[in-house]
Amino acid sequence: MSDQWTDRLSEYLDGDLTEPEKAALEAHLTTCAACRETLTGLRRIVAQARSLEDRPPSRDLWSGVATRIGVARGGRRLTFSVPQLLAAGIALAVLSGGSAWLLHPGPARVTAVQPAAPGTVPVATVGSTSAAERSYDSAVDDLERILAEGRGRLDSTTVRVLEQNLALIDRAIAQAQRAVAADSANVYLNTHLAETMRRKIDLLRQAAALVSAVS
Amino acid sequence: MTRTRPGPVKLRRDVTPKSDSDAVDATLAAMGDAHAFERLYRGHIGRVHSLARRMLGDDEADEAAQDVFVRAWEKLATFRGEAAFGTWLHRLAINLILGRRERRGVQRQRYLEGDGVLETLAGRRSAPEASMDMERAIARLPDGARQIFLLHDVEGYQHEEIAGMLGLATGTSKSQLHRARMALRQHLDR
Repeated sequence: MSDQWTDRLSEYLDGDLTEPEKAALEAHLTTCAACRETLTGLRRIVAQARSLEDRPPSRDLWSGVATRIGVARGGRRLTFSVPQLLAAGIALAVLSGGSAWLLHPGPARVTAVQPAAPGTVPVATVGSTSAAERSYDSAVDDLERILAEGRGRLDSTTVRVLEQNLALIDRAIAQAQRAVAADSANVYLNTHLAETMRRKIDLLRQAAALVSAVS
Repeated sequence: MTRTRPGPVKLRRDVTPKSDSDAVDATLAAMGDAHAFERLYRGHIGRVHSLARRMLGDDEADEAAQDVFVRAWEKLATFRGEAAFGTWLHRLAINLILGRRERRGVQRQRYLEGDGVLETLAGRRSAPEASMDMERAIARLPDGARQIFLLHDVEGYQHEEIAGMLGLATGTSKSQLHRARMALRQHLDR
């Protein structure tokens, strides 16, 4: 059964009626069981629509994407000059040291037993200050110095984006460090911290490469 | 004219819990870092593919989802971080999917289908299950009504935005949404 208000129920539900229309419809609802029932059904449909779960494709589509964008074998669009490779080398050294630091066994440490996803470093934990940690900090300092010295050669938009992202990463690292300090045995938190630190190195390495590219 | 808007609703397209790390990966990817782009792909493929599947159907979803990520890679330099990466990608996906629909010849007339088409939905049910999965029910909606229902109720766009995207009057978007909801209600209540 429907009446003049039935077709307005969705607008009512979505808050699209004027105040007088809303008042009139609400008065109608007090006497029309059919409209109340319809409204309940519509509310249920909207709730179900909002709670639909996304699901991944049944097959992995990444390889097709990678082929089409020309990175099927892990390649990159950038080609690195000698200075860029030097910068990348610093980062690789840091990653090696950082991984060793993060995976170093010890009574105060937790080791993740988690398979490494492509492009990630299988790391787990943060403990007390170590030589590797100092190495990490030192390399970050080196890369930041390269960026600071070369920032004048980058356009202002690039510098702004880099600084925004470095600030984001630093904030994320600080948050992760606080979380790990509060729950040092949590493998997820330790892994998250290590991944975030690795991203800082990635970004600094790319920034150093950009500086070198415009030198 | 005063509208009776409800309180703020958190829309699916605005849900970006990974926005900070996404922004970093987007920057890295724009510099050519394929690993960073793959992380973005892994983080968003479910949402993009689901959108493509619901809007275009199973047959086209894989190819359309791949198109979205290829185009995203090509346009990363235009991502400035004003919006969350997920929001930027979602809008890119919507535009590509709507363009694909246009190319395959979906006519504007589809949005103007009469009540009869929608009201036959319940009658087209092919299996006697006690309840039909919502996804399958949506897939059975007439094409135009399905797009509007998906964009409004699933993806969280407003009628004004939908009307702009589809080249329709706002009133048409509202009436088609109501008809889609009514058809789904009838169908799922059976």
